[in-house]
This record gives sequence, structure tokens and C-alpha cells, in this order.
Amino acid sequence: MSEPAAALRGVAQRFGRKVVLRNLELELRPGTIVGLVGANGSGKTTLFSVLSGLLQPDAGERRLFGREADEVDAPARARLAYVAHATQLYGALSARENLRLFADLRAAAGLSTRPADDVLLELGLSPEALGRPVATFSRGMAQRVALARALAARPELLLLDEPFTALDAAGRGMLSRVLLDERSRGAAVLLSSHDFDALIQICDRIVLLEGGALVRSVEHHQGDREGFRRRAAALWHDLPADPGDTMADGPR
Amino acid sequence: MRLLRQALLLLRSELRQELRDFELLLTAGFFTVVLLAMFYLSFASLQARAHLSALPGLMWLTVAFVGVLTLTRIFDREREADTLRALLAAPIDRLAIYLAKSAMALMVLMICCAVLVPGLWLIFPAGQAFAELPGQTALLAFLGCAGYVAIGTLFAAGLATGAGKNTLLFIILYPLTTPVLMYALVTTRALLDHDPALPDHLARMFMLDVILFAAASLLFETVLVGAPARRSERAGRPGQRPPRDRPPLASDAPVHRDMSRETSS
Repeated sequence: MSEPAAALRGVAQRFGRKVVLRNLELELRPGTIVGLVGANGSGKTTLFSVLSGLLQPDAGERRLFGREADEVDAPARARLAYVAHATQLYGALSARENLRLFADLRAAAGLSTRPADDVLLELGLSPEALGRPVATFSRGMAQRVALARALAARPELLLLDEPFTALDAAGRGMLSRVLLDERSRGAAVLLSSHDFDALIQICDRIVLLEGGALVRSVEHHQGDREGFRRRAAALWHDLPADPGDTMADGPR
Repeated sequence: MRLLRQALLLLRSELRQELRDFELLLTAGFFTVVLLAMFYLSFASLQARAHLSALPGLMWLTVAFVGVLTLTRIFDREREADTLRALLAAPIDRLAIYLAKSAMALMVLMICCAVLVPGLWLIFPAGQAFAELPGQTALLAFLGCAGYVAIGTLFAAGLATGAGKNTLLFIILYPLTTPVLMYALVTTRALLDHDPALPDHLARMFMLDVILFAAASLLFETVLVGAPARRSERAGRPGQRPPRDRPPLASDAPVHRDMSRETSS
């Protein structure tokens, strides 16, 4: 079996006195989708930052594509894509210009990228929207552009921090299909979400981040979608209550 | 070549955004004009001897203020949209980000100097040397602004990715750029006095800029994403549970287990 696309062993991260991640262990295998759930402030975004190389862990081991990654260098970053909670797009540039900037930067490093228009249209943007400044887009449209930028790179490791946010029902369906296609292509996908139904539909495993550690997980065993749903619902109900939690949909 | 090409691509993107609204140029330019007006009202009635003493300080004080404004605004764009993190996660040479931002800030400062220096010459007769030595004046402005930008870009970028507020940039930047500005001030005085040692001063400013850019280039990535923890720290700090002895990753054995029966940490 192939090496994991990413593996964290004993990873810890602190900001000042606050320990955000503690003794965290996680493995992301090619061709799997892992759902990450946790209350607000549980460390999900920090985990994504560590995996994408935006943060250096204070302790523990990070391995990417079979190699220890003290720093996530450019060759490793070429094989991963991170879609953050914020869309991270230049508002004054159009959707097309945003994607072409990153495509040109990749091309300067000898890396290929899918044509911007193709990916944007696949993700449901209309042709006339491609040339408009992103600042004029709704949050959902901007989210699609951010996803397009990530998918255009054909990453082997896809990190998505609450990708279903601001997407309408059609958009959620589209994203679910896209992620399943990525899994079929062999990519390892880690996504966080408060959308229970979306996670149940597409994830092979759901893990719970609590107190900075991955404390529970449920696996989808082949052909037992209903059992997976029940176990995931139990995990979901164990999420700590948070007055500020904006979790949209619980299990039904 | 890859580094240069990526830096140029990022600079082109910066210019494209700036040409859509001219926010940065208008703000910095207007601020320069306001300062010139204030200098005129405050100092024009003084004797010519006082002008000669005041001119270098007025010039580099303006550069310092406009510089902070420029750097703050350049990185505010990135902070508001969190786009700097997108660049850091992309497979580009991170130094290209530094070069592009520095180049953009330097261009804005040079445009402001193109307004500032003639303005000072018009207001203060002691500034006649600026017109008599245009090449040396342009080189002086370039070297002084470049040194300022070399340091300023580094710290502005660091604050843009962290939780630092813009006020920290003011607090950090002024002390750190004082040596550059002081030497620029001394060289400006040498220019105004038609000092024969002016070429030596300019050469020293050039060397200082080279040192500052080199140091900033080495520090840039560390300032933005931090340095990797030492291996001894990665093995575990004192008081922490030591890492378990684990077999090498087996191809079918996930590291993470279903720990539903274990207590959380």
C-alpha cells in the first residue's frame, strides 16, 4: 500500500501559554476523505496550518509524501493545496486573474495547472462572472473561486477548512461530487465542517478534535453507510456545547 | 531565474491592483503634499542658514512617515483578505514575496520623492543643490528609500501574518530604521554642502543597503512562518509524556485508532 500523503505524530502547538494541539496523531492516506469535526476553538485551523506549512509545530513529527518535513518546502507545497476558511482572494482582481496569478507562479516553478476557465466553469461560475472583480462576488461565489484555485493544481493532498460554508444546496452537491472525484483520482482529502449530512455522504472517516487532540474517530466500513451514520451521530453529539458554536446542521 | 520571475509576477499583480484604484499612490502622494505645505508654513520664514540645517531632516522625516503609511497599506490589503497566507502555502519561493513587496514599496516612495525633492527645492533656496546635482540626488533618494524598505518590508510582513496591530509597526520600525535614516540625513547634508566626500557617503549607503537586504532575505521566511523546532524539542519537552516507541508505519495500519473507549487528553 502507498505511503500516507501526510502523517502527524505527537504534534504539539502552542501560542504563548495556550496549548492548541497536544500529542496529535493523524494519518491521511491517498484516495480517502477524512472529515474533521470539533467545537469552535478546538484547533482545527491550527491543524490545517501545521499540515500546509504555515506553522512549524513546536513538537512532534510531520511527514508529507513519505518524507519528514521539518519545513514544508516548495516541492511539498506543490503537491498540496489548502483552502482556508477565508477565501484568500485578491478582491481587485477577477476570478480569472486570481487563478492565473497562481498558475503563472506555478509555471515559473515548472508546475502545470489546469486552465483557469475550465475549473471555474466546472465549479458553477457563469462565463460572465469570470472577468468580474472578486470583490463583487457573494461569499459563495468567492468560495467557489478559492476551491477552483486549489483544484486547478491537481493536488495529492487537499486541505479544506469548512469548504461548505456559504454554499447553497446546489453548491454543496457540486462540492461533494468534486471531492469524490478527487478521491477517485487518488488524492487524500482532509476537510472540516459543521455540515453533518455532507460529511456522512462523502467521508471515509470522521475524527473528533477535542482539547487539541484527536480523541475519537469513526470509520465507514464498506456497505455500512447506516452504521457509519449512527456512530457519527454519537460522535457529533459528544461535541462540547459552545455558546458561540454556529454549527449549522446536526444529525437527523 | 525562477525567483526573479515569481517576484516579477507578484509585482505585476501588485501594480495591476494599484492601477485599479490608485489608493496607495493617492494616499502617499497626498500625505507628501500636506507635509510640504506644513514645512512651508513652519519654516519658510526662517533664515537660509536654518533651512540648510533643517532640509535633510525634513526630507527623511517625510520618507519615514510616508514609508510607514505605504508599508501599512501594502500589507493591510493582504491582511484583510488573508492573501499572504495563500502565497505562503503556494509552491513559490517565499523570498519572491519579499522582493515584490519591497519593490512595490520602493516604487511608491520614489514617486513620493519625485514630488518631495522638487517641492523642498522650491520652498527652500538652500535646496538648490538638488537641482544642481540631479543624478546624485536621485541616487541618494533611491539608496535611502531602499534601506528603509529593506527593513520595513520584513517587519510589516511579519505583523501582517500575526496578530500584531499596525501600531506595532510604528513602534518597531522607527528604531530599526534610524541608522539608515540618520546616514541618509548625513549624506543629504554632504550633498547640500557640495562635500567632495559625497561619493564615499553614497558608496557606504549602498553597502549598508546590501547588508540590510541580505539580512532581511535570510530572515524573511523565519519571520513569517517560524523556524522548525529543534530535534530535541520535537522528541518531547521535559514533563511531557515521552513519545511511544512505535514500529515503522505499516502500510495497512493507520496511526490514529478508534479511541472511543479511551479518555480524552
